Amino acid sequence: MAIEQLLARFNAAVAEPYAEAKKRKEQGQKVIGWLPTDVPEELIHAAGAFPVGVLGTNEHIYLADAHLQTWACSLMRGCLEQGLNGNLDFLDGIIIPHTCDTTRMLVGIWRHALSTPYIDNYLMPRQIDRPSARTYLKGELARLKDNLEKCTGKVITNEALKDSINVFNANRTVLRRLYEYHSTNTAVISSRMLYTVIKAAMFMDKAEHTTLVEELLKELANISTSNDKRVRLAISGGVWEPPEILDMIEELGAVVVADDLLTGARYMGPDVIADGDPLDALAVRQLNRIPFGGFDSTTRERRGFLVETAQNAGVQGMVFLHLKFCEPENYDYNDMREAMNKAGIPNIRLETEYANTSLGQARTRLQAFIEMMGGSK
Amino acid sequence: MSAPFKTAGLLKNLMAKYYAKGEENRKSGIPVAWVTAVFPVEIIYAMDIFPYYPENFGALGAARKVADKLSEYAERRGYFNDLCGYARCGIGDAYATDHPVGNILPPDLLVCCNTQCGSLPKWFEAAGRYYNAPYFLLDSPLIEDQVSPLGKNYFIDQLWEMVDFLERTTGKKFEMERLVEVLKLASEATQLWNDCLDTAALKPAPFGFFDACFHMAPIVTWRGTQTAVDYYMALKEELDERVAKGITAIPNERFKIYFDHIPVWPRLRWFSDLFAANDALVVASQYTHSWAHKFDVSRPMESLAEVYTEQFVNRGFEYRIKLKMDFMKRYKCDGFVLFSNRSCKPNSFGLYDKRQVITERTGKPGVVFEADMSDQRFFSEGQIQIRLEAFFERLRKDQ
Ligand code: SF4
Ligand code: SF4
Repeated sequence: MAIEQLLARFNAAVAEPYAEAKKRKEQGQKVIGWLPTDVPEELIHAAGAFPVGVLGTNEHIYLADAHLQTWACSLMRGCLEQGLNGNLDFLDGIIIPHTCDTTRMLVGIWRHALSTPYIDNYLMPRQIDRPSARTYLKGELARLKDNLEKCTGKVITNEALKDSINVFNANRTVLRRLYEYHSTNTAVISSRMLYTVIKAAMFMDKAEHTTLVEELLKELANISTSNDKRVRLAISGGVWEPPEILDMIEELGAVVVADDLLTGARYMGPDVIADGDPLDALAVRQLNRIPFGGFDSTTRERRGFLVETAQNAGVQGMVFLHLKFCEPENYDYNDMREAMNKAGIPNIRLETEYANTSLGQARTRLQAFIEMMGGSK
Repeated sequence: MSAPFKTAGLLKNLMAKYYAKGEENRKSGIPVAWVTAVFPVEIIYAMDIFPYYPENFGALGAARKVADKLSEYAERRGYFNDLCGYARCGIGDAYATDHPVGNILPPDLLVCCNTQCGSLPKWFEAAGRYYNAPYFLLDSPLIEDQVSPLGKNYFIDQLWEMVDFLERTTGKKFEMERLVEVLKLASEATQLWNDCLDTAALKPAPFGFFDACFHMAPIVTWRGTQTAVDYYMALKEELDERVAKGITAIPNERFKIYFDHIPVWPRLRWFSDLFAANDALVVASQYTHSWAHKFDVSRPMESLAEVYTEQFVNRGFEYRIKLKMDFMKRYKCDGFVLFSNRSCKPNSFGLYDKRQVITERTGKPGVVFEADMSDQRFFSEGQIQIRLEAFFERLRKDQ
């Protein structure tokens, strides 16, 4: 396939996020949705079900307001909205992780307001530095495994789980290769396109997605453009929403080459090393993920990690892209900014929402920011 | 609120002493540990470490109506005004140049339990960096439905990890016998506190929720000490006396109300006056009952794990509905008021649905109002008054 055709496939997957899931459902496969972040999709896959990401909506939110205060983040309001407006009726189950107080309370609301057959939460440990975390997490994964078996009526064998882990590892590997390619050849595919490919993995069949990215990489191998003079930026935050923000960055003369986003680097995270017990291996992957806003690690602090990431990627600036009402990001911001300042990395914070945001002000501020670093268009 | 209590004077003295003791202690080599309200502080007391409650500092700033001023200092650093008001007060005071409620006490170490919420750990993480002090999180996974050994064992493992952390950072030794003594004192105080709260079930009652908000500081800060036991003994005596003399919390008690959750601190008086003017007494809240538990001293660590992980603040939707309904039954409530508190997402998200469910199941009227527990910038008096007046109207009609 030509590059354009390949990209069109990823774009289509993101434009119609539930198309593949619905198709699977019609074919008789169980479909389990997950909310960001960190839900171990391998377990869903190993149960023979189709995992699909539920990542909010850029459309107007109004049904959710009767159940969830408008001062909840627009990501979770948007997820609930889709449940309420029937868009998620095809789901056989949904797993809501404990990333913050909002997701922690959303489980109960979901159970009450919606009739998804199987509703669960993934209670990842909120500390990762002590031995107790690993023991607990293995137990929590075993609990999820049991519940998924009940929901799908299929036993998850160690072999099946290992196979699934391989499928996901392969996917993460090609995504990381694409990411690295984009970092040195920034002019070939746009930043938004890169992140669209990553996001598409959350909606498509994993093996198919891997094959398509491999094809893309093959096509791209013949093209190299090292002469991009645009400003190199990193993004830190939860999600790249609304998506137009990435277009805007490029229009203003910059490219994104590093991030710690849930719909970015965190999704490609470390591989699962599955030599022994696969549940233990999944636990270890979770504990070794890159830092994020949910909780800090005392051994691998987020702001230090961000400085390192920025320096390794050779960026000229950092954009903190925070969703309005997102507490974890807001609590981290002051110290992240100070760490950036200390390291001499110019930075800016933009606060956005999924829908209904006028990006006018963000554009003005971004423009000044990018110009300051010598970029312009 | 009721006519002034004799014990109120005692409380003021005690609190003043407590705040003074922090600095004194540090000077004499006793480490200061920041702790959270729903936290096994019994271990801290058993190790002769001084527990300091930054949430109390936040509540104090809120009650003195300066939370917005302190918050502004935090906002200048990039913290938004939609974070928990206590955190904004505490962080704000650290950066402030004026200190209308005194200085928040800097920690030597920070120990946090997330059974209540996710704001506290994020605040404590930031404070740990600011004060350059070691931080420890006691992680308590949500109990959505059934209590399971998984979460409990995880918590017990962490209690031992915490003991190790405390011994390493403070050089103090942990002794089980000391913990047992502290647990006995804690049980005694919580039992007395529970008895005091229960007097609100009498009709007319000598004591209500707004009184409880005032008198709860010692059960939060000193449970585990003789001071707390003595204090609640005195309060209980005074309540018995009031019952005997027929002194009631409000002049004409006609309705009993359940209230969720924290009061709007800077408007405590406004609310209690409005309720009293409508002959309604708020008699119960899950909030003030958070410290009305009991320990089994024959299994100290297990008992600590059970008490602190099985708290309602760590429970799911259905449990919280049931708890509210149980309180309404036990205190014979005629209606309920739910406070959608912008500062506190974990206690606010879900209230819209809960209001509906509780009315469906009990037939009692309820109302949700929006405000912030500490920040008056989010208080619109007119709107809240209209909502509550409509609610009181319903109560009168129903009776
Ligand atoms: S972490 Fe932030 S963006 Fe994610 S669900 Fe929580 S509040 Fe929303
Ligand atoms: S008010 Fe709510 S968010 Fe704030 S510390 Fe208390 S429980 Fe946490």
